[in-house]
Amino acid sequence: MARQETTAKRATSVLMALLIVAIVLALFFAYRHAGGLRHMRAPQLHVSLRQLPYYAFCSFSRMLAAYVLALIFSLVYGLLAARGRAWERVMLPAIDIAQSVPVIGFFPAAIYFFVALAHGSRFGVEMAAVFLIFTSQAWNMAIGVFESVRTLPNDSLEALDAFGATGWLRLKRLLLPACVPKLVYNSILSWVAGWYYLIACEIIAVGPAHYELPGLGSYLMKSADKGRTGELIAGLLTLLAIIVLMDGIVWQPLSEWAEKFRYEFAATSEPMRPMGLLAALGAIGPFILRILRRILRPIVGTVNFAIAAIPPLPPARRPAMRRVWLLMRIGLGAMAVFFVVMALVHGTLALIRTLLQPWPAAVRQIPLATGASVLRLIAAYAISLAWTIPCAIAASESPRFARRLAPFAEIVGSMPATALFPLIVIFVIRVTGGMNLASILLILTGMQWYVLFNLLAGISQVPADLKEAVRSFGLSRFATWRKLTLPAILPSLITGSITAWGGGWNALILSEYFVYRGTTYKVFGLGAMLDDATYQSGNGLMILLTLLSMVLVVLVLNRLVWRRLYDIATDRYRIDY
Amino acid sequence: MALLELKHISQSFPHAKGVLPVIHDLSFTVEEGEFVAVVGPSGCGKSTMLRIVNGLMPPTSGQVLYKGRQVDGINLECALVFQSFALMPWLSVKANVELGLEARGVAPVEREKRAGVYIDKVGLDGFEEAYPRELSGGMKQRVGLARALAVEPQLLLMDEPFSALDALTAITLREELLDLWQDKSMPVHNIILVTHIIEEAVELADRILVLSTGPGRLVADLKVELPRPRNRRQEGFNALTDKVFSLIEERA
Repeated sequence: MARQETTAKRATSVLMALLIVAIVLALFFAYRHAGGLRHMRAPQLHVSLRQLPYYAFCSFSRMLAAYVLALIFSLVYGLLAARGRAWERVMLPAIDIAQSVPVIGFFPAAIYFFVALAHGSRFGVEMAAVFLIFTSQAWNMAIGVFESVRTLPNDSLEALDAFGATGWLRLKRLLLPACVPKLVYNSILSWVAGWYYLIACEIIAVGPAHYELPGLGSYLMKSADKGRTGELIAGLLTLLAIIVLMDGIVWQPLSEWAEKFRYEFAATSEPMRPMGLLAALGAIGPFILRILRRILRPIVGTVNFAIAAIPPLPPARRPAMRRVWLLMRIGLGAMAVFFVVMALVHGTLALIRTLLQPWPAAVRQIPLATGASVLRLIAAYAISLAWTIPCAIAASESPRFARRLAPFAEIVGSMPATALFPLIVIFVIRVTGGMNLASILLILTGMQWYVLFNLLAGISQVPADLKEAVRSFGLSRFATWRKLTLPAILPSLITGSITAWGGGWNALILSEYFVYRGTTYKVFGLGAMLDDATYQSGNGLMILLTLLSMVLVVLVLNRLVWRRLYDIATDRYRIDY
Repeated sequence: MALLELKHISQSFPHAKGVLPVIHDLSFTVEEGEFVAVVGPSGCGKSTMLRIVNGLMPPTSGQVLYKGRQVDGINLECALVFQSFALMPWLSVKANVELGLEARGVAPVEREKRAGVYIDKVGLDGFEEAYPRELSGGMKQRVGLARALAVEPQLLLMDEPFSALDALTAITLREELLDLWQDKSMPVHNIILVTHIIEEAVELADRILVLSTGPGRLVADLKVELPRPRNRRQEGFNALTDKVFSLIEERA
């Protein structure tokens, strides 16, 4: 089915966009003057090797907390969205927008909000950091859950209906297992994205307030800032070790396990075999799991037993229960509406108040700055394409190259580029003397892997019979690219590009403005303007206007370019038979 | 000289535990103008054999001779028809049919003309600009057939071409295939058809090669002397079907 949007659907998605932007801005401005930040006191961060394990632990805990939240959110959200057309119509565009809006731009807003919520304690900043990481992890996982449930074969659903399996049993035996492959795959991507943001958000400066959370990210920034190369390298190695260990102990075994739940029968792609050391690590995960299971089984058994022991409700009281349930739902709904309305009213008032302030002269530069930033994104995107497409073509021609490239790219791609930012900036500035190239390279680090991973996934899904047909008819190498390889990877290229541009906009905010050893390096662009307003002047109006223009450009580009390309790609270049 | 000669072909694939033998010491010849059907249970290596003949994969041991010369790499005088049709979903019917011609360096004008001729032959006149996903299964396989015929191969290789179609569509397409093969204006005079449907083999072929499973070996080489057009009610049809069936069953 082609993705045909009716006017009503389009209208709802635009409405959703406005609503989300309104809510976020409302929260921002409602709490902007709460003044929680001023009371914060920052703990001092020490750049020393002895502290490194503690910092690594802190960062990892933050990641884990955010991931658990994202997992719960994605399951609830995805399952709800897959319940029916009406749910889908509202919930999908919401995710779509949340995914494409540059979340990092809203980070200061989140800090104001959470710090005010926690009455200025460190816990508020922790919550803000976890929230930021969460926003980088949740959306793709939720979409994964939704797609898995949505694409379930009707037969399976009907089979369960025929057996009268409902509620928990249906969830346990069909819906959750169906989500496993995509959830595992997206979890891996989410951890990669999470590391990227974690490193960026542990050092927080909003206007006059400066805050450092103990963690690997702040450690790396600090050691780079102080020029302590030895400590910097130790920190990077620690990070690399955590990522490699996670990959070996958790993700590889999980991916293998997830293969069991795949619905497609014609698996043309070869399973990826972990190499030597990683294979050995792979045994640790199941081992830990066995021990955990041994500990947990008696507990779970007892709970199950206890639940089973509860006598079923007598039929006479069921309607009463249902009424209580209904009342509860109405109550919760009313509360949610109340909060949203309150936030909107407060926010709108604050918004109007801000907009009535005299506009600074810099506003007039926003359109030009937007253009400069878009050009930078295009340059980074072009560089991404220039090396990932040849890589994908080479992988399609040689399975051996593909097998070697995949694990390598996985490790290198999981390394959060934000951790390398200081190195890149120092090096490029020293070579070229300016920030422009450095900024494009930094944006590149936030884009390229999405394109590569999507292309490699696309390559592995080209059906074997099409490859055979092309060979059997004696197509030349060039003709094979033109008739088979390129068209076949086009849908993955578009999906990858959409994600890459999403990552690119976020990276932009981190890439156009860089503080190193007390010197601020910046270029002329939208991201730098936003950072300037956030970190230097603290001018609410400028923050608001730059954010709005960024969101506007993102939404317009998505509607005019990516959505159209996506429709064409899924319509004509889909492989289905 | 035989058109095609397979000499002691064996094939095995690497497997989780050592190697998995698929074909064991298979030898047979195909004469000029013959329609040969290869039948056998699933896993007897009949599709693998077809790919070896086409040159898509080299045999582990043994030789394939085509017109007396050893096949080394893709044999461009063959054309393969797939069970799954293997049409490029992003190319129109015409572009799919032109695929093999383009590979052979046929000029665009000539290409278009020839594609048009074979699209007509398989009865898809008027569907030149349609895309595969807009076609029914039967029509998709007609495109697959036209694509193979368009390169005017001497030897047409068919891998379970009618197995993915419904029974009624399959009956029509079999009749049409036979008409095309008997059409003197058509350049194709030799067909190797791989199938697991015994009636299909008996209905169409001059000769039936029966393979056994695990690993595939030649069990029998039967001539079909029934006059064409054949059908189930014909004398001898059922007797031959039963014979092939029992040959396969004996070995299973």
